[in-house]
Amino acid sequence: MAETQQMKKFKTPSKGTPKAKHPISIDHHIAPQTPQSATPSAINLRRSHRLTAAFPEHRPAISSFNTHQSAAKTRKIFENPPLVLPTEISITPASPPPVESRKKRKFHEKSAEKSKDSRNVKYKHAADRKVKKKVYYKKVVYDGGEFSAGHDVYVKRRSDASSDDEDPEVEECRVCFKPAGRRVLIECDDCLNGFHLKCLKPPLKAVPDGDWVCCYCVARKNGEVMEFPEPQAGKKRARTAREKLLSSDLWAARIESLWKEVDGTYWFRARWYIIPEETAVGRQPHNLRRELYRTNDFADVEMESIIRHCFVMSPREFANAADGGDDVFLCEYEYEVQWHSFKRIAEIDNNENDGERVVDNDADWNSCDEFDSGSDFDSEEEAAYEDKKRNRLSQLSSLRPVAANSRKGQIFGLQKIGAKKIPENLRSRKQTDLEKAKSTLLLATLPKSLPCRDREMIEITTFIKGAICDEQCLGRCLYVHGVPGTGKTMSVLAVMRNLKSEVDAGSIRPYCFVEINGLKLASPENIYSVIYEGLTGHRVGWKKALNLLNARFSDENKCRKDTRPCILLIDELDLLVTRNQAVLYNILDWPTRPNSKLIVIGIANTMDLPEKLLPRISSRMGIQRLCFGPYNFQQLQEIISSRLKGIDAFEKVAIEFASRKVAAVSGDARRALEICRRAAEFLQNRKVMAGMADVEAAIKEMFQAPHIQLAMAVSSFCANNGETFPGYDTLLKVGCKLGECRLLLCESGTRHKLQKLQLNYPNDDVTFALKDSKELPWLAKYI
Amino acid sequence: MPAFAALRQFPSSDPTSETIVAVTPRKTRLRSDSDAAIGSPLRKSPRLCKEGTPHSSPTASIRKCLKTSLNLSGSPQKKQLSEDFVERQNWNPRDETQRRAANEALHVSTAQMNVVCRENEQNRILDFCKKCIKEEKAGSLYVCGCPGTGKTLSMEKVKVMLADWENEECIQYPDVLPINCTSLANMNDIFSKIIEKNHSGKKRSRSTSSLQQLQNLYSQQTPGMKMILVIADELDYLITRDRAVLHDLFMLTTLPFSKCILLGVANAIDLADRFIPKLRSLNCKPMVITFCAYSKDQIINILQERLRAVPYTVFQPQALELCARKVAAASGDMRKALAVCRSAIEILIGDSMLSSLDGPEDQHKPAENVSMSNQVRIDHVAAALSKVYKSPVVDTIISLPQHQQIILCSAVKLFRGGKKKDTTLGELNKYYVDVCKSTSIPPVGILELSSMCRVLDDQGILKLGQSRDDKLRRVTLKVDGADIVFALQGVRFFRNCLQ
Repeated sequence: MAETQQMKKFKTPSKGTPKAKHPISIDHHIAPQTPQSATPSAINLRRSHRLTAAFPEHRPAISSFNTHQSAAKTRKIFENPPLVLPTEISITPASPPPVESRKKRKFHEKSAEKSKDSRNVKYKHAADRKVKKKVYYKKVVYDGGEFSAGHDVYVKRRSDASSDDEDPEVEECRVCFKPAGRRVLIECDDCLNGFHLKCLKPPLKAVPDGDWVCCYCVARKNGEVMEFPEPQAGKKRARTAREKLLSSDLWAARIESLWKEVDGTYWFRARWYIIPEETAVGRQPHNLRRELYRTNDFADVEMESIIRHCFVMSPREFANAADGGDDVFLCEYEYEVQWHSFKRIAEIDNNENDGERVVDNDADWNSCDEFDSGSDFDSEEEAAYEDKKRNRLSQLSSLRPVAANSRKGQIFGLQKIGAKKIPENLRSRKQTDLEKAKSTLLLATLPKSLPCRDREMIEITTFIKGAICDEQCLGRCLYVHGVPGTGKTMSVLAVMRNLKSEVDAGSIRPYCFVEINGLKLASPENIYSVIYEGLTGHRVGWKKALNLLNARFSDENKCRKDTRPCILLIDELDLLVTRNQAVLYNILDWPTRPNSKLIVIGIANTMDLPEKLLPRISSRMGIQRLCFGPYNFQQLQEIISSRLKGIDAFEKVAIEFASRKVAAVSGDARRALEICRRAAEFLQNRKVMAGMADVEAAIKEMFQAPHIQLAMAVSSFCANNGETFPGYDTLLKVGCKLGECRLLLCESGTRHKLQKLQLNYPNDDVTFALKDSKELPWLAKYI
Repeated sequence: MPAFAALRQFPSSDPTSETIVAVTPRKTRLRSDSDAAIGSPLRKSPRLCKEGTPHSSPTASIRKCLKTSLNLSGSPQKKQLSEDFVERQNWNPRDETQRRAANEALHVSTAQMNVVCRENEQNRILDFCKKCIKEEKAGSLYVCGCPGTGKTLSMEKVKVMLADWENEECIQYPDVLPINCTSLANMNDIFSKIIEKNHSGKKRSRSTSSLQQLQNLYSQQTPGMKMILVIADELDYLITRDRAVLHDLFMLTTLPFSKCILLGVANAIDLADRFIPKLRSLNCKPMVITFCAYSKDQIINILQERLRAVPYTVFQPQALELCARKVAAASGDMRKALAVCRSAIEILIGDSMLSSLDGPEDQHKPAENVSMSNQVRIDHVAAALSKVYKSPVVDTIISLPQHQQIILCSAVKLFRGGKKKDTTLGELNKYYVDVCKSTSIPPVGILELSSMCRVLDDQGILKLGQSRDDKLRRVTLKVDGADIVFALQGVRFFRNCLQ
């Protein structure tokens, strides 16, 4: 039971992570937490998933690192990852790299290993050194510092950057160049320099409340020139790590996981922080001096390149950390390096909260090593390994001092509760074709290709490319419409993904992309603040955002820094129609201004939305339309069979039947997929292919109106008093029941005998439902 | 199209001598221009003159307009001449830069410096502003017209011209405050914007609202106060339920020492009459200037003016004319015309891509033929126009799923008698089931039917009314029954059904 509980919790983070768009089936998430069950067949499956995500493609690159320049190099390599990195790495620590590359590294770095052993490396947990496998740790003591997952650290950026001077651990006064000592250093809020209270002119008696700006900065703001005092000749002023970070000579990173490679080197997975200057929009007036952005960019870095700890805090923690030292930073937003857009961390973490809490609590699982499931050793070895692991597990729990009752009520894996181990052959059974079919037919599964929409996708691509490719970037607007379930949003997003890879390849210029769903807005006006937050990473009220956006998209500020074109995708555009339609007017007016560089793509169901709008708005909307018609049955058939490619679960006739049925009514691809999935569920336990009958049953379930089913159910209820004449009160009761089911329309109950009744559904339907009832054969006569 | 033809003919008639060019063309120019001035704006001029500028008779205004247009057109005319002597290059749609240049010239956001075909209106606005500034008197003016007739553009132009004039005359330049009323979060913000612009130095008191402050300011004499020119675009967004904001705004100009010149821009022709009736009783009704929808000649003129920025011949003249005629007949919306031209270029590019894929047999065609194929022809424009104006009803109906077609069919049958114009969903369901039964097609349930009707409503074929109960929603056909019959003719089932 613990199993299912955790399963649920583990699924959530994949939804929350912004990049979890890959077709990652659920078992992929669950697999790592029960390592003992991962037999080769399951591994192969998992690996194939990875391959589709193109993950191992850049793993070999890591292995070729020179140990000295690792930090700088990794950064470069990961600057433009060819495809999205899986962000759920915190949940699945065992990312199996290809075996070949790892072995190569073993030969390469044998010598490095020896030299490293002489270093002062201690392990908190006695690691099993004999096992030549990747070993994950919760905490590592390295060069006297204690690092664990979740810590923030400074990382060397270039190999030469650290050599220019030693890092001063203590900050000096900017005037007298003496360390703080017993006296208090006060920090200027503008230039972040520290000053002794006495060294200031005029000297301060006490630390003032609120913001304080030093006299140098005040002078500079007033336009005067006031130089900082120079240090004595021959003595160079040492720069602190903070200064180096803010002048981009160092990196800051968050440790996601730590491990020892097979060659004995220690690595960690870093999640980079960047300073505001490195974002696409640059430093903005609202950025604080100590503000950093968390990115969704990861890299594997050697521990050697860590300098020391820093502390990146959320705004609330930052406000409380008044004297936290020099290495305190603020981080409020996550920066998506691919789209150059900002997201509030609080929002992301809210979604992930469940998952993360589980990870934290499940300390044993997280800290214990995750063996390399990519290698293919036989079962005895594996069993031996299991034993070792369990030993270590018990060691771990004895080593770490824990509060007595902190683990009460928690369940740790199967071993802890004394449950019998489930036989492996049962759990690791290969996924049947039917199960595979069911998972690929899920609406949430992203198909590998989008058949039958090639023409539309080409049109969207030429539209966007025509706009962003030339220097001038003339603003334009496209309206995409079509009935539900015809792949509108999916096609546009697929085009955006393709363009993204082209940007990465460098064939087209970078652009920013903001995606908005009209349904997710609290009110139509909120779209302004959402757009502004997406473009700049600063949340303001919609009124202010409107003014700022107006200024941004008009040509008044020609010298603005961010000149990349901007693509705005608004799903469910019709929800933005307000009473006086001002929101739509403003959004569609921006592209017609010179130098706006704005491209608006609107998606809605209604075909004649532009005609329903005010003429001045439809005039600004232009004439670019794109219609997604309902699918016909051949197209539906192609869509379903392309999803089921390689899976032998459906008869061809069954697919055709389902697609013909759907095409006759609505042409909605979602519905066709649902029918097929339901049909697959019907034959759950039978080991056959889904045929016509199953599809038929699924269609009946989906298309038949609920009232017919209801009438059938109620008819059995009536059967009780079929022969005997019911009393008046029984009749009333039955009437009320039928009224509650909305089969009958009744007047309010106070009038009892005089209540008027009306059948809510057509007579034919009732006849049809009651005709064949077995209990009341005589009923058919009456009807 | 007299103006256009005259311009085109003229250089070939007398191409050689510069001196004659300076004399004779003036004459033709005069005639042609007066033609243009009378031809297109005359349709509205009588009415305008009745209520319009009091100090000028119609003939005077025309003469004046001619003079200015002569002055304005002096240099471009010469330029055009020289351009016509030089053979204009052939436009190659496959070339990136040339394509970009053409696209840029036809984009909505690239406004050229002199707004052609609106000189008359511009001058009237300018005269009004000049008069107000000279006399230091407040005044209000209301500019109305359909979308895409160059109102906002003309206001920009007037602003520039006003600045030039003030530099010449050395009159203190008034503050100019352009506001787009859609971008106001709160309607009353317009007053605070005015007060910020005008009297930024002064301290704002919190107790009184900015409207009251403005009223106080304008009701007593304060020496040395600058004039302020407020250009309020999309004025009708200021209409609140009690119309207070709009009323107060116009009333500001009637205060005794008001320094506010208000230029309001909107679509509605009678906004001032309808919403501010009090102004008439105070005898300070705003002067109204109407921007008529562009006529066909004007659209041709503007398109040519824009294309002159490109040193290539992009359009065949007939193609331009077709575009202009169609757009002028439908709405006279310049944005539409530009969009049609741009999409015609895109169609041409698509064609040329295809033909270049076809292979090299293009090359041994005669040269002039190639040059023709590099211009936007009538068929391209026609294709682009059909994208805008063609109603796709028949195609849509043909491509609908069968059950939705059956619904339409039963709806046509239902309304055929002509006595009923609308029905309820329940009744439509009855008819639908009948039609299905007649050919033993299993009908779908009523819930499914109502969701299909919603899809048809989205596509603009049916109209669904609002009702709490699904069954009682009103259904009306939004397309002509004959269209449906025509579209469904091809299928025998429907033909039988509809007979």
